[in-house]
Amino acid sequence: MAINTGVNETGSSSLFLPEVATLIDKREMTDVDSFFTFKLKNRPLGHRYGQFVELSIPGIGEAPFSISSPPTDDHTFEMVIRKVGQVTAAIHSLSPGDVVGIRGPFGTSFPMEDLKGSSLLFVTGGIGLVPARSAILYALNNRGAYKDITILFGCRDPGQRLFTDELAAWSTREDITFMETVDKCEDGTWDGHVGVITTLFPNLKAIDPTDTYAIIVGPPVMYKFVIMSLHDMEISDKRIIVSLERNMKCGVGKCGHCQINNLYVCQDGPVFYYDDIKLLKEAI
Amino acid sequence: MDNVTISKKDFLDFVEKKIQEGDSKVIGVVGKGSSYVFDRLESSSRLCLDYDVTILPPKKYFQPPREVLLRFITKKADSYITENANEPLTIIGIHYYDLAAISLMDRAFSEGNRDENYLKKRENSLLIGMYPTQAFKYRFAGSVVKGVQPYKAADLMLADMGDGNYTVEIVTEKGRAYLSSAVQKPFTYSLEELENAKKRIKDDQKIPVPIEMSPDFLVKNHGHPVWEVFGEKCYSCGSCVLVCPTCYCFDVLDEVDLDLKNGKRIRVWDGCMLENFATCAGGHNFRKTKAARFRHRIFRKGVNLPLKYNYYGCVGCGRCAHACTSSIAGPVKVLTYIQDNQ
Ligand SMILES: Cc1cc2nc3c(=O)[nH]c(=O)nc-3n(C[C@H](O)[C@H](O)[C@H](O)COP(=O)(O)OP(=O)(O)OC[C@H]3O[C@@H](n4cnc5c(N)ncnc54)[C@H](O)[C@@H]3O)c2cc1C
Ligand code: SF4
Ligand code: SF4
Ligand code: FES
Repeated sequence: MAINTGVNETGSSSLFLPEVATLIDKREMTDVDSFFTFKLKNRPLGHRYGQFVELSIPGIGEAPFSISSPPTDDHTFEMVIRKVGQVTAAIHSLSPGDVVGIRGPFGTSFPMEDLKGSSLLFVTGGIGLVPARSAILYALNNRGAYKDITILFGCRDPGQRLFTDELAAWSTREDITFMETVDKCEDGTWDGHVGVITTLFPNLKAIDPTDTYAIIVGPPVMYKFVIMSLHDMEISDKRIIVSLERNMKCGVGKCGHCQINNLYVCQDGPVFYYDDIKLLKEAI
Repeated sequence: MDNVTISKKDFLDFVEKKIQEGDSKVIGVVGKGSSYVFDRLESSSRLCLDYDVTILPPKKYFQPPREVLLRFITKKADSYITENANEPLTIIGIHYYDLAAISLMDRAFSEGNRDENYLKKRENSLLIGMYPTQAFKYRFAGSVVKGVQPYKAADLMLADMGDGNYTVEIVTEKGRAYLSSAVQKPFTYSLEELENAKKRIKDDQKIPVPIEMSPDFLVKNHGHPVWEVFGEKCYSCGSCVLVCPTCYCFDVLDEVDLDLKNGKRIRVWDGCMLENFATCAGGHNFRKTKAARFRHRIFRKGVNLPLKYNYYGCVGCGRCAHACTSSIAGPVKVLTYIQDNQ
């Protein structure tokens, strides 16, 4: 049997051939989430806000993860990875200097350029903060380009809070509104707001629905309720942007796992204008 | 497109010669028990072109049930090398509906990102199609495969003229070159006789909704009870997607060799009817119910693929209806139920 083998620098010989990236830095964030900085060997990743990569460890497998940092010039990129299974456990056991395989970046991104001149309302739940952070940091670094910036973050309990240093810094900034909540806290370590994320909405100062874009990223159950609240605030579907999660095995529009009707979330998403998917029955 | 005539005996001699030359691996339809399968031919005497349907479609030659994509040394991410095993193949006797399915797969694997693992295998293949000479009680291909779609995949097409001759339609130059060493006779039939030979076998079944309308029809019936009624009877066994010529979903996983040092990343057939096809980490299943999965499969064929690739995602082979122990999988039955229960 003839076998064509070969390593292709550009990855063009196979959609499935990863490039090499080195782990630069690793920090624990919660008991299940850790923060990772990787660096691609030969080139900058060239990602946009909200895109993801397929990260793999040979012998364990491959899985999709969002890039949490805005694009930088120094070839590094950041991720926060929750330990839930085989691949994620193997990533958690890496040490700086170890290498992993990377394919991507894949998918659509938050249209940060198009949103310039408008107000932004970020609604993030749990690990949804990870992809949203790339867009949030961009907006904060280009603060002058946007009107009001509001960031809402909710998670299950105080132990699940991510990027706590950054959350603290956001909460003291005068030029943005930042609000946080936890679903529950039983040990008295939290004196902030308690309740699901939509319970923060009544506390928001008046938002101009004709001049605000809402960006929602969170667990699957969150979307329907947040969108209902946004509708109450009269924000139109054209101004609601979501990032969806699905089971993904290829990232390149072939394996069928991420399919919603005729859309492939790995290619046509994960970032969508809600208006474009609201008629797809299985999307939200 | 030119037509030539070849007697059945000369065609078999030609196949025998090709097998002996050994330039490409020759695959053909052969009997297996009371069924038929595509298999390697060591001799043309095994070839059986007078068949109803094969158990599996020929997609297995282009998207193998288990295919190595990469090899690596365990835990060494700088050791990945690509693999694309393929060799010249000739496949003889593919019914026109299975060719239509291959043309859909060609489209899916080349549009957007080109999947070279699939496409290289296709480039290295020569396909000899044909029109059925036996009925299959679940087949309804005649009412869903329209126009030139099968000819986008075929290099040569055979029509059994019923008098000991095949008419061979020469579809591509590659096909013409391949056939050049066969004993050919001039084509002396009328085009009408050829058309009649192609349509000699009438399907027992027909899609009840004209196919041009089916996306609208299905979308309108997204909430129809049929999904619950049929879904209830589904065992989530995945047989219907396994045998389907237009199903190409796959899973990707790593396999470590016995030495624990080397390994490979492989892709294996997967199917949307299996329970956890759409389950994410954290346990959220985006198609949790059997009804949702049942509807997804039919929508993929009748709505999603037509919208994306402009081809209907079912070619009417009837294999799913035959394979389903619960007798619910066939699109004809599903659409008929919807139509009868408006
Ligand atoms: C576009 C996209 C972006 C993503 N971004 C990120 C990201 O930035 N960070 C991140 O951490 N993840 C992210 N994910 C999710 C990530 O891909 C999965 O966590 C990962 O695939 C899990 O792989 P694994 O091999 O570790 O898990 P597997 O070995 O596949 O195990 C996962 C399985 O474990 C079980 N399981 C895991 N957790 C639970 C639980 N809490 N309750 C019950 N069962 C459970 C489930 O059955 C699940 O199927 C993203 C996913 C997508 C599609
Ligand atoms: S073959 Fe029948 S029982 Fe099995 S998954 Fe398909 S529809 Fe369900
Ligand atoms: S859905 Fe059934 S009838 Fe249609 S192509 Fe697939 S197996 Fe054949
Ligand atoms: S992840 Fe394979 S098609 Fe989207």
